[in-house]
Amino acid sequence: MTNSHASHTPPAERSHDVHQRIGLLTRQLHDALSGLGLAEKVKAWAGELPDAKDRLSYIARLTGEAAEKVLNNVDLAKQHQDHIAAETRRIGALIVKDPVAAVAKGHVMNFIHDVEQVTKEVDTNLTNIMMAQDFHDLTGQVIAKVVNLAAGIEAQLVELLVITAPAETADVPADSPPAKAAQEPVLQGPVVKPEGNPDVVKSQSEVDDLLASLGF
Amino acid sequence: MANELKFLVVDDFSTMRRIVRNLLKEIGYAEVDEAEDGVAALNKLRNSNFDFVVSDINMPNMNGFQLLQEIKKDEKLKHLPVLMVTAEARKEDIVMAAQQGAAGYIVKPFTKATLEDKVNLILTKLGLKK
Repeated sequence: MTNSHASHTPPAERSHDVHQRIGLLTRQLHDALSGLGLAEKVKAWAGELPDAKDRLSYIARLTGEAAEKVLNNVDLAKQHQDHIAAETRRIGALIVKDPVAAVAKGHVMNFIHDVEQVTKEVDTNLTNIMMAQDFHDLTGQVIAKVVNLAAGIEAQLVELLVITAPAETADVPADSPPAKAAQEPVLQGPVVKPEGNPDVVKSQSEVDDLLASLGF
Repeated sequence: MANELKFLVVDDFSTMRRIVRNLLKEIGYAEVDEAEDGVAALNKLRNSNFDFVVSDINMPNMNGFQLLQEIKKDEKLKHLPVLMVTAEARKEDIVMAAQQGAAGYIVKPFTKATLEDKVNLILTKLGLKK
């Protein structure tokens, strides 16, 4: 359609024409994909993309939770540190003023107990911060799956290009993605959407119950 | 006695190996070595003495199930307790691990208390801890 033709056609007729053309192109694309045996593959990609969306959401959730956990524990640890620093200054002043009274009145022993208690709490904060780093392992496995999916789609697109390209340009590079895409791991990795899936456990207690039912 | 036990932590993610190593240290087991997959683990197990294996499942080269099978068919290693610590949460994987002789199964993400409970339970069952 040329611009001069378009400018002389009434808007309603033009819209109808565009719809007809889109319909024709869609039909031609469908026929071409079916003829090449690619319709099923396209259907498979469409099925995998929501799964990739779930996986990316899972990564966003886990990294967000990990950051939150780290920051919360840093806040708590800093409060503990501030408390100990203030108490140290206070007990230091008492000892300078009257060392005998500081010991006799129990200020020094109370301070020692306080330090012991607070260092335990800081140690717990540090352990929590360390445990929050487990997101690296879990998201790493999920990212690998999404990358694998992208590689699979890329491979299929290359295949589509090769099939539809003119004969003289249809060379496939030796290291093209199809070979890599075939390496789909058998193991599933982290379950990104356990809700409503009876084949997976949702907690450690479910693991323990299952093992107990097997006599472990 | 239990504190002198030597652990091997097998995981392809170095972050997770460090986490498990540090947790074992906090629990009271300071002697811990690491391997990044089943092949490296088997090599270390055959060339040194270990008392306990903590292994991931999803790893390159040789996964945790394959490592477990290799350990259980090796006369010198089959007595070793193997605790699986993994993100694989399918029931069939848990059942398979149990059938292949795993001493325990922990699903990631886990807590320090869970690891401590499972390690101590296994060691108590084996008479290595009272």
